[in-house]
Amino acid sequence: MGIVFTRLFSSLFGNREARILVLGLDNAGKTTILYRLQMGEVVSTIPTIGFNVETVQYNNIKFQVWDLGGQTSIRPYWRCYFPNTQAIIYVVDSSDTDRLVTAKEEFHAILEEDELKGAVVLVYANKQDLPGALDDAAITESLELHKIKSRQWAIFKTSAIKGEGLFEGLDWLSNTLKLLLQAQ
Amino acid sequence: MSGHDSKYFSTTKKGEIPELKEELNSQYKDKRKDAVKKVIAAMTVGKDVSSLFTDVVNCMQTENLELKKLVYLYLINYAKSQPDLAILAVNTFVKDSQDPNPLIRALAVRTMGCIRVDKITEYLCDPLQRCLKDDDPYVRKTAAICVAKLYDINAELVEDRGFLEALKDLISDNNPMVVANAVAALAEIQDSSVRPIFEITSHTLSKLLTALNECTEWGQVFILDSLSRYKAADAREAENIVERVTPRLQHANCAVVLSAVKIILLQMELITSTDVVRNLCKKMAPPLVTLLSAEPEIQYVALRNINLIVQKRPTILAHEIKVFFCKYNDPIYVKMEKLEIMIKLASDRNIDQVLLEFKEYATEVDVDFVRKAVRAIGRCAIKLERAAERCISVLLELIKIKVNYVVQEAIIVIKDIFRRYPNTYESIIATLCESLDTLDEPEAKASMIWIIGEYAERIDNADELLESFLETFPEEPALVQLQLLTATVKLFLKKPTEGPQQMIQAVLNNATVETDNPDLRDRAYIYWRLLSTDPEAAKDVVLAEKPVISDDSNQLDSSLLDELLANISTLSSVYHKPPESFVSRVKAAPRADDEEFADTAEGGYSESPSQGVDGASPSSSVGTSSNVPVKQPGAGSPPAPAAMPDLLGDLMGMDNAIVPVDEAAAPSSPPPPVLLPSTTGQGLQISAQLTRRDGQIYYDISFENGTQGVLDGFMIQFNKNTFGLAAGEALKVPPLQPGATTRTLLQMVPFQNIAPGAPNSILQVAVKNNQQPVWYFNDKIPLHVFFGEDGKMERASFLEGWKSLPDDHEFTKEFPGSVISSIDATVERLAAANVFFIAKRKNANMDVLYLSAKMPRGIPFLIEITAAVGVPGVKCAVKTANKEMVPLFFEAMEALTK
Repeated sequence: MGIVFTRLFSSLFGNREARILVLGLDNAGKTTILYRLQMGEVVSTIPTIGFNVETVQYNNIKFQVWDLGGQTSIRPYWRCYFPNTQAIIYVVDSSDTDRLVTAKEEFHAILEEDELKGAVVLVYANKQDLPGALDDAAITESLELHKIKSRQWAIFKTSAIKGEGLFEGLDWLSNTLKLLLQAQ
Repeated sequence: MSGHDSKYFSTTKKGEIPELKEELNSQYKDKRKDAVKKVIAAMTVGKDVSSLFTDVVNCMQTENLELKKLVYLYLINYAKSQPDLAILAVNTFVKDSQDPNPLIRALAVRTMGCIRVDKITEYLCDPLQRCLKDDDPYVRKTAAICVAKLYDINAELVEDRGFLEALKDLISDNNPMVVANAVAALAEIQDSSVRPIFEITSHTLSKLLTALNECTEWGQVFILDSLSRYKAADAREAENIVERVTPRLQHANCAVVLSAVKIILLQMELITSTDVVRNLCKKMAPPLVTLLSAEPEIQYVALRNINLIVQKRPTILAHEIKVFFCKYNDPIYVKMEKLEIMIKLASDRNIDQVLLEFKEYATEVDVDFVRKAVRAIGRCAIKLERAAERCISVLLELIKIKVNYVVQEAIIVIKDIFRRYPNTYESIIATLCESLDTLDEPEAKASMIWIIGEYAERIDNADELLESFLETFPEEPALVQLQLLTATVKLFLKKPTEGPQQMIQAVLNNATVETDNPDLRDRAYIYWRLLSTDPEAAKDVVLAEKPVISDDSNQLDSSLLDELLANISTLSSVYHKPPESFVSRVKAAPRADDEEFADTAEGGYSESPSQGVDGASPSSSVGTSSNVPVKQPGAGSPPAPAAMPDLLGDLMGMDNAIVPVDEAAAPSSPPPPVLLPSTTGQGLQISAQLTRRDGQIYYDISFENGTQGVLDGFMIQFNKNTFGLAAGEALKVPPLQPGATTRTLLQMVPFQNIAPGAPNSILQVAVKNNQQPVWYFNDKIPLHVFFGEDGKMERASFLEGWKSLPDDHEFTKEFPGSVISSIDATVERLAAANVFFIAKRKNANMDVLYLSAKMPRGIPFLIEITAAVGVPGVKCAVKTANKEMVPLFFEAMEALTK
């Protein structure tokens, strides 16, 4: 059954890549997550002025992951990357409670975008290793995730530094994308 | 039918840009690469593909070097038109500058330097800093050049980040190519900076000399050019430098050779040992000669440089005159330059050979070349006394071939020869007179007329000859008219008989009544008055002994020559003009130099190299004009009628026509500084400065006409400047006679066309007139001309203002050159500049003054001046919200307390 499934999938997906955007406020940990996923190690990062793009192979799917800078000056240019996007990974710094409101506003602004209508949303409640970090339920509350009606979403507690929760999230993402494709 | 036509409006084609966009976003790498290639191709042929910016930038992070290079190329081209989006590329640059591949690191840092977008320069500093310390020399050398590029975009940033120090460290790098690029970058930065940034010390000197032998040819040129700015401490060091540089003379690259020659020439000034100097001269000859076997264009550049070298050190090429002989297939511009150098190298030893050459050239077909050859013979005659006779016989032979332009040119130079050797060769006048009727060019005619007038007593039919010219007097050009006038007067004074008497009446009448040339009219009136007052005095003036001329045409002033020699192998040495006269980015030389320059140039107008038409003989072409000052003091007052000779009596009524040429009363302040020296302005000298009178800003400008003609139609224009100063009225300058000066106040209005950017005091001025090209020069805006009469503050409001401003708004500066000799005088002087005194107190032996000043539309300056009376050094503190103006404010205060 598994073999049949894989064949079916590969015939449907071909060798296409899924295009994924990693978004979130500055200092949320987007670049660290990207390289943790790609190389499996923690790299030292500086604020991303612009973007990083890497290919991540997981569960037989090739993800083309775009990590976009989160600073206020760069957020307006996120929209340049919206077309043809299958999924969004939205990263939140769970310990930065002061800016959760801003995180929420940016998040819902993204959901409003026409070009992202069909995109699946994965939220990483990051920096769980830090003291005072809110858990996934609290983040769900803060971001008002329950208001999302028309698309699939999930939230995971992660720590990019420790490597916790990232691949669980990616598991969910790959399965959801596969199912979506099958449904088509 | 019409129902089907709607299909023409709907098309399935999307057009090129959307198609490219789609391909750029393709998930297949090959397709993306092809798409970027298509974009670059479109860009190259001039299509605007800037709308694809983000799509192209998204292809930037790739393993493929070829694709990366293409995207970089696109970025360099379009970053300026999409400055906001350019920020998206920053992270990739940062990553690439840390790539394991040094080629990519260098590529990233090079491209970064080419992107001139303010918003992103700041982000590029960290990568640049890393690359300057890279392990790979290729990356370091690229980073060095990038610093110079960044300096051009944002000088402050470069200084704040310590890149200049990093560059200086690179001079000690172990890789010669890195050293060469660091030197090139520093030299470039120095060119655009006022402060001394790059100074070679004895330590860096040895580093540079070591790197010199190992780096590429262009690296050598950079190093040599920088070394040429180094002033050796003593003869020993100079010899050492020269010794290390001499092997470069053998280099195949002409630029290296010329730069090496430049250094050797400069260091030779310090070398005292004549043996060493003689040896060096010997060594320099072969490389210079070799330059002449290159392509004609390079030959030309070499010849222009050799022209300078020969003027400084004739011995170097004294034995090489043969290489300057013209080949039949040389282009004309090379031939002309060669002739010039042949004249300079001609000596008693080689003159026979040279004359043979010149004679040969004089029979060629190119008219300009032939003329120059004939003139060259004359100049040799003037230069070499012992060869003069041979030169003249060659000239006579040439006259006999009766080619019109050869004859005319010969007559022009023979006139100069007469002035050089008076009473020696007059026997040939008869031969000259035979060709009288072939003359049709003004200069030749004028020369012939001068000869006739000067030697009227030896030419039996001088009056007939002159009379034949006089028939067409009104139609002749001014040059000929002036000579005819003078020659007729001479003739009359030498042979005061009936015929000349009638002639002179006719000429004077013509020259005073019929002409509208003020030059001619003035001269005619002067002769007239002279003749009518005291014919003996007239004789003394008109027939005075003339000073013997020498051939100084095409000879450069020694200070200019030294400046040009320091610029050998640059455009300056080809133009024979100092760099600041044609490159605006180079700052003008310090003011003092300019004045000195102007003085030497005014000393005698024969020194001016730019005399144009009569360049070969400026001091003699107008004969007596230099003996008779055109503007005589008291010319306006009527002469005593008693002493006039009878024959001129009926003309006396004309005297009233003489009007003094006094200009409008000049402003009674000291003359403004010279901004356009007459050497730069082809004789026109302009002095000017901004000044404030009665609450208005004026441009106090003065013109001095050192040219030989009238200048009129003066107009002025000011470039955009920090304060938006512009002319508030048209410039009113009367037509300016030769030698005359006029000074005027031009009202200025501020805030007209304001230049954006950080405030600076530069005022760029353009002045034109109907006779000359447009002149550009720079002035400085003294801030205090803006200080308003309403700048006085009450004590209380001053105190309040001082307290309310935070401390970071306070600035302090020392003026070490200023001294206050009396408090009252200083206060009065400052008040005259609208800097108002408020209070003073004593602090130990120091006096502290509190003052205020205000700019229109501006915030006041609160000023505190601390100084001890009679002791040099004034401390000035200012508090203002107007931070940007503070540097300019200190400049103004320093000037006011000086």
